Amino acid sequence: MYKWYAIKRILKGIVIYSLLIFTFSLLFNKVADETQRSQIEEQVRAEAMRQKGKKAEEIKAFQDQRRKALIRLYGLDKPYFEKVISRTVKTLTFNFGKSTIIKSSDGDRDVRKIIFETIPRSLLLFTLAAIIELIIAIILGLKKAQNPGKSLDKGTTLVTMILYGLPTWWLAMLLVMLFAYIIKIFPSGGMYSSPPPEGIMRLFDMLYHMILPLATLVLLGFWGGSFFIRNIVLSILQEDYIMSARARGIPEKKVLFGHTLRSAAPPIVTMVLLGIIGSLGGAIIFEGIFSWPGMGNLYWIALQQNDIPVLLADLAITTGIYQLGLIALDLIYGFLDPRIKVGGKA
Amino acid sequence: MEFWNEFKRDKSGLVGLGILILCILLVVFEPLIIPYKEAGTKWRSIEYWQDNSQSAPPVWTNLFTKTKQAASADLRDFSKTVDADGNTIYQFHYNYQYDLAPYDLIIRAVGTGTIPLTVSVMRPDKQVIELFSTSLYNLSENEPIRISILNSSRDSALSFVREFESEENFGNIQTMSAGVTEIIFSEAKPGFVQNQIPLKGNYIFEIKVSQPIAEEGQEIPKVYFEEPHISVVGRVSGLLGTDNSKRDIFSGIIAGLKWALLIGFFTSIISVFVGVIYGIITAYFGGKVDSAMMFFWDYFISLPVLPILIVAAAIFKPSIWTLVGVLIVFSWAGSVKTVRSIALQIKEETFVEAARALGASHGRIIFRHMAPILIPYSFASMALAVPGAIIYESTVSLLGLGDTTVVTWGQILNDAYQGQAMLTGLWWWIIPPGLAIAIIGMTFAFLGFALDRILHPKLQTR
Repeated sequence: MYKWYAIKRILKGIVIYSLLIFTFSLLFNKVADETQRSQIEEQVRAEAMRQKGKKAEEIKAFQDQRRKALIRLYGLDKPYFEKVISRTVKTLTFNFGKSTIIKSSDGDRDVRKIIFETIPRSLLLFTLAAIIELIIAIILGLKKAQNPGKSLDKGTTLVTMILYGLPTWWLAMLLVMLFAYIIKIFPSGGMYSSPPPEGIMRLFDMLYHMILPLATLVLLGFWGGSFFIRNIVLSILQEDYIMSARARGIPEKKVLFGHTLRSAAPPIVTMVLLGIIGSLGGAIIFEGIFSWPGMGNLYWIALQQNDIPVLLADLAITTGIYQLGLIALDLIYGFLDPRIKVGGKA
Repeated sequence: MEFWNEFKRDKSGLVGLGILILCILLVVFEPLIIPYKEAGTKWRSIEYWQDNSQSAPPVWTNLFTKTKQAASADLRDFSKTVDADGNTIYQFHYNYQYDLAPYDLIIRAVGTGTIPLTVSVMRPDKQVIELFSTSLYNLSENEPIRISILNSSRDSALSFVREFESEENFGNIQTMSAGVTEIIFSEAKPGFVQNQIPLKGNYIFEIKVSQPIAEEGQEIPKVYFEEPHISVVGRVSGLLGTDNSKRDIFSGIIAGLKWALLIGFFTSIISVFVGVIYGIITAYFGGKVDSAMMFFWDYFISLPVLPILIVAAAIFKPSIWTLVGVLIVFSWAGSVKTVRSIALQIKEETFVEAARALGASHGRIIFRHMAPILIPYSFASMALAVPGAIIYESTVSLLGLGDTTVVTWGQILNDAYQGQAMLTGLWWWIIPPGLAIAIIGMTFAFLGFALDRILHPKLQTR
């Protein structure tokens, strides 16, 4: 029963996500505490400034009283374990509080808003890259599988191995240096020119800013994928039903795209989804170098500004998206490959 | 032996092994190879690097340019003579064959007490310029001496120019910032400061340490002046140039190699080993133990490693060893699932049943019977896990969160990023560290894929 399998998988995901957030609250309790205290201090001082025409002692008494009230309000006077639990619940309900420095595009200091406006930008870049990579990987992978051991197959496999440990962000640095500073044909970073153009030109401006990051991702991305697809397709091509399909005179194109790729779909979907969630995790440096205003770049800014609430919230959201990806992976896999569902019932 | 015969047939595997051996040799003989011996420990010491040139390209860039730029050098060979008056004279030969003079020349030595010092140079055209004459007073014991010609010889260089230039021309030169080294290393004739023609040939630098004159009724003070050498601050420097803090990048890359290998080896070997044992245990016991352990595993596999690593590094500021430990905690889960599936089959083999019938303990069956079969399978995953670990460390370092007591490639890249190397086009600062990471990654990919082909022969036909 696919329904039960799906529900079970989603529930497990939620439990694991809650546990992860609990661990984060446990690990980062102290620093989150300190940040909140300094935020309270700031607020108390601001309120005291507004109290005009009062004596020094009165202001001091007022400050003490306000401080106490705020500490109680945020639950900072509670015992350690209770604080961790309440922080876990707050994070799970997306109550991240206020940032210390960073502001959203319309000047808000609400952490939720700051992060949620970056998510689509990251997804746009990495999903687009993943789609282009997939297309190239399928074409190249099929070519490799059709003539295994031939020079094209061997050559591209060698390149795959050579590029195995090459950091994407390093290629990004090189390309920015080359195409933004030495040969000035691409912008050095950002998502729009400033000021951003209006109307349809805005889209083209964004695409223009996207070329370099996209090219970097694709240049390194498709090699591993094509190698993976080659291996899967090769093992499927040795199956009997492929031979019988060929024997029945079905055109080779149809055998490849209809029969082979259909069976290869589940692992390929896994590869693509894992690739996307993996690159989201590794996006921190990558987006930082291109100043692409996504979630990764937000990490970088939060680190530089030492904005702990944004940093922790960004981590929670990234983990959430990661978890969502893993759940989606199992659900799609179970849908495409009915054998998996048996495992879900047991 | 059989394994080696199989391995020999894999060319890329052999290349990988070759590079790996080369890397280990580089680490072992590091002190003999790098020009700056203490690069690893004094990477962040400003004093250690002060005699170098800033942001200088590698020496071999001269091969591709028409005007050859003077390379950095350290003149250490000298001849020592004592003249009739008791003055000690140190002579250094410098063979100058470039078109562009070095930035500076720095006289270095250690000395004690009061030292009267005169430095002059005899040029290939037999002209002698007295560069400066000074007295160093009351140096404490073995105090380092450092005199830059750029700072102390401007006046003598200008008076040398005056001998050749018309009065009117000289006035212009004085207001211009005529370089001291350009004057020393150019052909001397009217108008030569504006139109510099390099004077190539052998220059003899002479450091004269005069015998101090004794005050009345006192003994002649002994002059202690040792280890003199002259640092030529070139416009090109070393195999891979220097960065904007004057550090030699080649020394940094070699010094970073051992950390890369160490991080890679420790992380991959321990985490894969833990993963294998974990996989065997969960498969062997099965049932509730399996469910609980697999849930725990699910928890770990759900951690986005890099974001957590970065946040943790930002908050806890780990040392390199803590970082390795954290990497192990985050990466052991990767190899569990495949091991578990193989272990589930092995568990049903008769030899396991036999061992159990003989009364072997669980520990004995797991470590003595199952692990020896499964661990070789994981060699390939170990090799393939090395590049990942190195990239994780360099990513953390690139954000400026690494251990600053050591040099790693990521930190060099971080310095390059912070130092605007991309903007100013200092390619020799960006390319080498990344290339080093890529080469190590390639090496272990070669090894890993080769091992994979041998240990999993099923894939061979494919």
